[in-house]
Order: sequence, then structure tokens, then C-alpha cells
Amino acid sequence: MSFVIYLIYASIYIGLIATTFYIIGYNQDKKRVKKLYSDDELPKVSIIIPAYNEEKSIARTIESIIASNYPKNKFEVIVVDDGSKDKTLEIARKYKSKIVKVLTKKNGGKGTALNMALKKCKGDIIFTMDADTFVPPRSVREMTRYFKNPEVMSVTPSMLIHEPKGLLQRVQQAEYLFGLFIRKAFSSVNAIHVTPGAFSAYRKTFFDEYGGYDETNITEDLEMSLRIQHAGFMIEYSPESPAYTIAPNKFKPLMIQRRRWYTGLMRNTWKYKGIFHPKYGDLGIFVLPIAWISIFFSVFLINYMVIKILFEVQKELSFLISINFDFTSMIGIGSYFFERVLFKIFMNPIIVFFLLFATVMGIYMKFATKKVGKVKKLPGTIVVYFLFFALLFGFWWTVSIIYVALNKKVTWR
Amino acid sequence: MEPRKIQSKKRYLWAFIIGTAIFVIGFAFTNMVAYLQFQRVASLQDPTSYQIFQDKLQYSLFGEDICAENTYIKISQDLTFQGQVIGDLENKLGLDNKNVLFRKRFYTLIQLEHFEFVKLINEECNKNINSILFFYSNKKTDLENSEKLGNILGPIYQRNKENLVLYSLDLNLDSDIMRNLREKYDVGEESVVIVNEEHRLTKINHVSEVEQYLE
Repeated sequence: MSFVIYLIYASIYIGLIATTFYIIGYNQDKKRVKKLYSDDELPKVSIIIPAYNEEKSIARTIESIIASNYPKNKFEVIVVDDGSKDKTLEIARKYKSKIVKVLTKKNGGKGTALNMALKKCKGDIIFTMDADTFVPPRSVREMTRYFKNPEVMSVTPSMLIHEPKGLLQRVQQAEYLFGLFIRKAFSSVNAIHVTPGAFSAYRKTFFDEYGGYDETNITEDLEMSLRIQHAGFMIEYSPESPAYTIAPNKFKPLMIQRRRWYTGLMRNTWKYKGIFHPKYGDLGIFVLPIAWISIFFSVFLINYMVIKILFEVQKELSFLISINFDFTSMIGIGSYFFERVLFKIFMNPIIVFFLLFATVMGIYMKFATKKVGKVKKLPGTIVVYFLFFALLFGFWWTVSIIYVALNKKVTWR
Repeated sequence: MEPRKIQSKKRYLWAFIIGTAIFVIGFAFTNMVAYLQFQRVASLQDPTSYQIFQDKLQYSLFGEDICAENTYIKISQDLTFQGQVIGDLENKLGLDNKNVLFRKRFYTLIQLEHFEFVKLINEECNKNINSILFFYSNKKTDLENSEKLGNILGPIYQRNKENLVLYSLDLNLDSDIMRNLREKYDVGEESVVIVNEEHRLTKINHVSEVEQYLE
């Protein structure tokens, strides 16, 4: 057997142990007693919406958040226009009221906009919300309940894609759905280490004590979540609180987004590398190491496969020429065709384990969607995910690793 | 900060036990499928050889008409499938697996029996059923060329399966009959394709190079 086959089997083995660990965690999390605020106890919240050139979505974002069923005397929205060149500011100002404040500043990046708003916030709980995120009325209230536990410094929602269309958005939708399961499993061992910038809640005192957003960081949300974990606090997950974001629907913007996320993940993980330590419990000894081992194995294997296929292209082409591109002669559907195909599939451990993982992930996604409501075209989305995600994932990571290795600057756009 | 405790050591233990069990069961399952495949070949080889044997005896002892039906076509399909499955089993269980080697030797005998029967049909029935003897090698030195020849012969068989029978023979098979065959057809250490017992090819770049010799 070759080294690569051993590596594939090692990945499968680690994947099986990790998957089992998370399934057990998912089930045990149901039994975990959570301290939750009742309706009467809900604290004051501030929702910060930094916006840069978001004229297409800002109105709907503001409308969705002010429709929240949160006590209005404990609720404020601060829109920060980060020097937009379009009509973002003009549209936002139409919503100015007792609840909605609109600030404007010179363009300086998301971190600067968030920090500016943090100074003006009156809430005990701070929500950060992207200007292309939409939430149903219940999300703010349900997320805020988790802050009754004083150890909780952040709460994350169930992030989903807003009305996914086309191949790329469907792939991302499946990825987000899978993320719901993982998030719940991570929360069972206090190992959530990513709070989505699109919509997350934080305790104000954490900012007071540990400072505001790192304005030079390209993934300021990720930096904040690792900072919370590094300081030894808890990040909770509220599965009953969906938040919908508009996902890139073209390859280039998606590539740019992922390059930013993954380079940010690498740089911030390095910054907080001390978390890889037994004193951080399950996060330090299992969750983060397994996540990184899985990433490196996946990236290596996907690149190996792609390179191998590229080398085989010439061989395959000359073969096709040699048979005059007569594809029907390649298949040869005879009386034993299906029997042999079935034998070949079920005799190969890699295919068998792939089918097992695919089934488990499909069930994950189905379970994960129980609390967020019906997800349209779920079976098709899962199929699209399995066909394309690995390839895209390998590509995004490879590009990001090159950027980090060459210390290249990564920008938002 | 105060060091965090691991939430549940039992969870790690269970994850390790269950994960390992699934891993082992997965491999056991694929080996079970390989065993089923092995049994399938065994269950096909006996009736195939019996059928060929019976047809030949019916003809030689009782002069039964062997031209009436194209019985050889069904047998040929069985043979092709058996060859493919033996190839799969070699990949799965290894080239040195004794059980697979036994089936391969038996398969070689059935193929040769069939080859003789087809020659008889051609003579007695005035037919032109083509035959290709493909002596392949699993040795590293010739594996690439052998695979290339095999890949091209597959489609040639599919395009002409109404009047073509393809016999795949491992030239490194440790058996007296294979040694004699190699001597008869002057086969060395490299893969060779022999069309209708006349035309020798060691390299094939296009289907036409073989099909030009088919009748």
C-alpha cells in the first residue's frame, strides 16, 4: 500500500473517532442544564450594524432587526456608515428613530466602525450584525437568554444562507447546515471558537475589560472569539435563533471571502496558539488539534488527487483518441454490469467509509435544521455539497496557505 | 484563568471504542464482500466448465449439432465477468493470495477449453469467431504497458462482442500449461496480444490496429 492510502485510512480513522465524539457530545448537550434569562430578566441590548456600500440590503437588515420581539425599552440599534460611496447612509437615515441611531465616519474598516459604535452603546449585551444579514423576530431574544450564565461572553446563532440559488450558494448552504451540528457539538464541551461576524452577541463587560475589536485584523470576529476562549470564558450556541446572510454567488467574490477567512484563521490561531494546551480542556487537547489535523490531511489529499488527475489527463486523452471517443464501448453494459459495479463499490473501504460519512452528514444536517425550520431542497443541497465542496475547500485552503507562507497582504475585496 | 476540566473522560473512551469498532467493521464488511465475490466466481466457474465440457462431448460422442445456437456467447460473457472479478480480487487480496491464484489457474483452464471449443465451432460451422489471446504481466517492469493494452482491448471487445472472444492470460502464472502456452506462442516476459493466433502485437495505439485483423 502506498503512503497516500495509509494517509487516507488515517484520516478516516481520525474522522470516525471525531465524528463519534461529536455525536455523543450532541446528544449529551440536550441534558446539559443551561442558565437562561426569563422574559422579565432580559437585559438591555445594543445592535451594531457596520455598513460599507450596502445600499442593496441595508433597508431590509434594519427592518428585520427592528421587528425583533424584544422589549423596546431595552433595545437600541446603531448603524455605522463606514464612509460608503453609495446611498447606504441616505437609506439608513430614513430609519432614524428613538431606537435606531445612525453614525457616519471616514472609511476605516469594519473593526473601526464597530469600535466607534461600542463607545456609544448603552446595552449590556452587544450584537454585531452585518448589513446583509436578516433575522427573524425571535433571534435576539433567544440568544440574549444565554447570558444569564456570567461565564458566557458570547452567543452565536444558527447561521444560514438567505434564499440560496445556484451551485455555489447551495454548496455554502450545506456547509452552513453542517456547521449547525458542529456548533452544537462544540458547545457541549465549550469549544466554539468562531463567532460569525454576520450576527453574534457579546457581553459588554468583556469589551470593557479586554478591549474592543482589533482594527488591523481581517477576521476581527474570529480574533474576538479566540480572545474570549483564550481568556477562559464560554461561548454558547443558540440553535433556536436563525440568522440569514447573503452568500457570494460568484466564484471570485467567494474565493476572496474564503481567502480572508482562512488566512485570518491561520494568523489568529497562531496569535492564540497557547489555546492548544490541556488547561483549555477539550478545546485545547481535542477540538482544535483535530480540526487542524483534518484540514492538513484534507488539503494534502485533495491536492494530491488533483495533481494526479492532471497527470492522468494526457494518458486518458490518448486512450480516448485510441478508441475514437467511442464512450459506449468503455462502459459495456452487459448482464453482469450492475453486479460488478456493486461489488467494486462495496469492496473498497474508502468508498464504503465515504458513503458512511455522507450518510452521517446528511443525518446531521437534517437534525440540525429541526430548530431553524424547514430548509428548501435539502436532499439536492446535500448532493451538490458532496460533489463540489471538497474540491473548493482544497482550492481555497491551498491559496490561503500560499498567501500566509508568502506573507502576502489579504484584503476584504 | 483557572484551568478547565475535561468535560467527560468517558466520552473520549467511548469515541475511541466506537470509532475503532466502526473502522474495523468497515474493513471486515469490505472483506466479506470480497469473500462473496470469491464465492460468486467459484459458483460461475463450475457450471461454465461443465457447459463447455458437455457441449464438446455431445458433439464428439453423439455428433450433436454445435452450430445451432450461439451458446458460446453466453459462456463468453460469463468468462469476461469471471476475469474482471478475479482482477478485482487480485487488487483487493493481493497477487499472492492462494485462493485467488487457484481460481485464476482454474479460470485459465476454462478459457483454454473455451478457446478450443470456439476453434471447433469455426471449423465445423464455417463461422468466423475471432479470438484474442492477451498475455498480460503484473510485474512492475511491464505493468504500465500491460494496463494500456488491457484498457484498449476492453473497448475492442465491447465493439465486436458478437464475434470476438477475448482471453486474458497471466503470463507469470505458475502452471505447466502456461509455460507450454508461452512456448507455443513464443511469449517472453512482456505482454503480448495475439489476434486469431496469427498476428502478434506488443503495443497498440489505436483500436484499428487490432480490428484490421478481425474477420
